[in-house]
This record gives sequence, C-alpha cells and structure tokens, in this order.
Amino acid sequence: MFKELDPILHSQLRLAVMSLLIGVKEADFTFIREKTNATAGNLSVQVQKLRDAGYIEVVKQFKDNYPQTTCKITPKGIQAFEEYVKALQEYLKTG
Amino acid sequence: MSEEKKLTEKESLQLIADMIKKAKGSYHDTGIGSLLWGSVVGIASFMTYLQSIYKFSIGFDIWLIVVAAIIPQIWISVQEKKQTRAKQYDDDTVDAVWLVFGICIFSLSFYQMVIPDATIRLMQGQGVELIKRYTDGSKPDEALRPFAPSFYSIYLLLYAFPTLVTGIVKKFRPMTLGALLTYVLFVISCFTPANQDMLLGGIAAIVCWFIPGIILRRKYLAGRAAANV
Repeated sequence: MFKELDPILHSQLRLAVMSLLIGVKEADFTFIREKTNATAGNLSVQVQKLRDAGYIEVVKQFKDNYPQTTCKITPKGIQAFEEYVKALQEYLKTG
Repeated sequence: MSEEKKLTEKESLQLIADMIKKAKGSYHDTGIGSLLWGSVVGIASFMTYLQSIYKFSIGFDIWLIVVAAIIPQIWISVQEKKQTRAKQYDDDTVDAVWLVFGICIFSLSFYQMVIPDATIRLMQGQGVELIKRYTDGSKPDEALRPFAPSFYSIYLLLYAFPTLVTGIVKKFRPMTLGALLTYVLFVISCFTPANQDMLLGGIAAIVCWFIPGIILRRKYLAGRAAANV
C-alpha cells in the first residue's frame, strides 16, 4: 500500500521552496524568488500556504528602512519533507 | 515556476536535487576580507624580512598595519552581513573559528611582547640571569634577553588552522591547499633562521588568503554579472 504524497509538498513551487530551505539555515524572500524563478505574487501565496501548514517560519522585519522577509524551515517542515522524500522513493522502487 | 504543475515522482526528486544544489551553491564570499588579510600580513612579513636582510628601517613597526586592518574588516563584515540573502548552517561555525583565530593572534602578540620582560623580572627575583656565551671565545659573555626561538613558526601554525577549517567546511579547495602548504612551510620554518621565517610567513599569507581571495572575488563578480544579465 502506497503512502499518499503530502499534497502541500506535491506541487512544483512549494516543493522547490522547501527543497531550498532544507539546504540553508534561513533565506530571504528575494533569494527564494531568484532561485525558483517564480513571480513575487505567486511565491507569496505559496509561502503563506507553507506557513499555514506549519512547515516554514516567516519573519517580516525592516532592514535599513526596507522590508525584509526571511523564511526558515521548521522541525515539522523537516519531518514532512523527509517523509515526502521517503514516499517518493517507495513509489520509484516499485514503479 | 508554477504552483499548480503536478509533478511525476521522478520530476519531484529531480527538482529536490536541483534546488538543494542551488542552495549549496549560494555560498559567495565577496573575497575582500581574504584579499585584505592576505595583503597586510604578506606586506608586513615581506617587509620585516627585507629590513632584516638589507639592514634598513622604514621608521615604524610595519605590523601596525595588521592592527589598522581591523577597522576596514569590521566595515567589510557589516556590509557582507547586509548583503547576505541566505544563511548556511555552517556560516556561524566558520565565523566563530575566524573570531577565535583573531583572538589567538592578538593574544599571541601580547604574549610575545610581555613575556621577555616578565621573565627577566622573575629571574631577577630568583637572583639569576641568562648569559650568552661565545663558544669560540671571540667575545666576552653578555646578558641575553629571554625570547622564544623561531616564534613565527607558531604564527604559521595559526594561519593554517582557520584556513583549513574554512576550506574543508566550505569545500573551497584553494584554501585547503593553501593551508596544507602552510603546514609544510611551518615544518621548514622549524629549521630556518627567524628572519627567513618571515619570508615563509609572507608566502603563507599569499597562499592561504591572497590567492583564495582573488579566486573568491572573481567568482563573486562573475556571479553578480550573471545575476544582472
């Protein structure tokens, strides 16, 4: 019996954001946008979804009078990501 | 990249691998710090060597430029922190290693300045002094000021330490090679006179920091140019 893939993670942009954040301690919104080639609006919506799921932590602050949004993966996000990768490997093993 | 595009399992794994690779490749030191320290330590070491070989003085202690370099370094660190858009897990570790290195270097300089006089005072308290004796009898015995022989060898060891850590942790081969070469220079310095140790120290500054600094700077500028295209 296959484990169902996490629908929050099983979408291109959200998975890209999580994969980026798993490799760094924290990252700016602009960094994520640049690496994923996403539009600011679309990325903002997906970041919000990941935040609502408790997978990432979003901190908004002002740095040198400019707004700065920093994203960081949470322990729950790491666990979800690991389970997602395991499930993917299961699919590929039997596929 | 779109949100709604559904991926196959294979595409998902490929995307994960690509993004992790992109995140790992995001380490970009501007190279300015390495260039700064490679220059000042290199200049100070070479100048000390030249002064001892050609018996001249420039009128001030050249090592003061190393102390003066702390001010631009603080400014560089603040600017780099502002520009950082992604923080790696090992950034704090590498920063801590360089901070401890700085503390060790200045503590060692302090030790080098203070210990001779402190040793003289202690020996005077015991009613003894060090005497230099010419074994061929060409000159009469004279008082010897206490000193640590081949002291710059210790600095060479210290130069290699944070450089090797950074090279290994950041997988930056030029620094790893520079540090390994500096360990070789350390071994050589154990058998050379003190003034030649300075020459070895200058070479160490070039291989540990100046050359890696040039490489980092080039990479950084190339990355910036690519981002602006």
